[in-house]
Amino acid sequence: MLANGILTQSVLMGTLEANSAINPRGAKLKRHIAADLLLTALIDAFSILVIFLLMNFSSNGEILFLTKNMELPKAHVADILERNPVIKIDEGKIFVENKAVTAQTITAELLELRRKHTEIFPGQEFPGIATIQADRRVKYDLLNQIILAMNQAGYSDIKFAVVVK
Amino acid sequence: MKHSKKTLDFEVNLIPFIDLLSVSICFLLITAVWLNVGSMNVKQAVGGQAKEDTQKSPLVWVRMTVAGDLDLEVQESSLVPKAMRKLRIPKLDNKVNWDSFEKAVASLKQVEPGLNTGLIQPTASTAYEDIIDLMDKLRKNGMSDLGVSPL
Repeated sequence: MLANGILTQSVLMGTLEANSAINPRGAKLKRHIAADLLLTALIDAFSILVIFLLMNFSSNGEILFLTKNMELPKAHVADILERNPVIKIDEGKIFVENKAVTAQTITAELLELRRKHTEIFPGQEFPGIATIQADRRVKYDLLNQIILAMNQAGYSDIKFAVVVK
Repeated sequence: MKHSKKTLDFEVNLIPFIDLLSVSICFLLITAVWLNVGSMNVKQAVGGQAKEDTQKSPLVWVRMTVAGDLDLEVQESSLVPKAMRKLRIPKLDNKVNWDSFEKAVASLKQVEPGLNTGLIQPTASTAYEDIIDLMDKLRKNGMSDLGVSPL
């Protein structure tokens, strides 16, 4: 079956030689030492790889940007992370949507985000959700400032970013 | 008369198939997300809504002490006996005794199946990791409504 097939021609003779219009006679006299490649096993391996990678594929995209020093806490039971305003604690500093804030200005910044949301979606109820991204070693003392500010600004739902075990 | 035998077998050209698989693998490898980030959803335990609007359902307060002990207090439940309403889980090897905590929550859940609310009160020195661990254990035992209290 493979005697005149394209695979045999390309593998044993080379693509150029096989398709050449000149077809030099000398080449026919040479002994072919090339062996047939078993492509079935290769395709099997590729297929398994594709299936494995497709199963790991995430369509959510990168919602959070993790720095080198940041290590999120781990949890077994976690929900899917959605796009919400992100409050980040990085090296002791607080950031609201990547804007550095202090314990005094965080409430004002959250209220500003709330005002923007009302402007963009008029008539819609404010969901009051924010994601907190912090290193696992951070003490609650620092987190408390954010939770209090969220409470004051009307953010009742907190989503702590975690790594799913 | 000589009949030329024509074979009906044909050869499938595998080269484009291999190309397609290679491109797919490259694309998936580049876009793969190896770190699966999720979220632990909680509510503000205090000041979320007016007291009159709050439904009276069984709940458990978990107070984390500075030493690493856990104090459990069940409220709004008629099924949980008085002896089980207040529990203290002492630390083990200077760490929170998670096994005992899980057992205590599981036994409370067995007595009061409607116990779905867990409110957490950490201290200023409590590590964020411990709070998340606590929430994780509560959720594993079927508590879906979690809240965290400010200091």
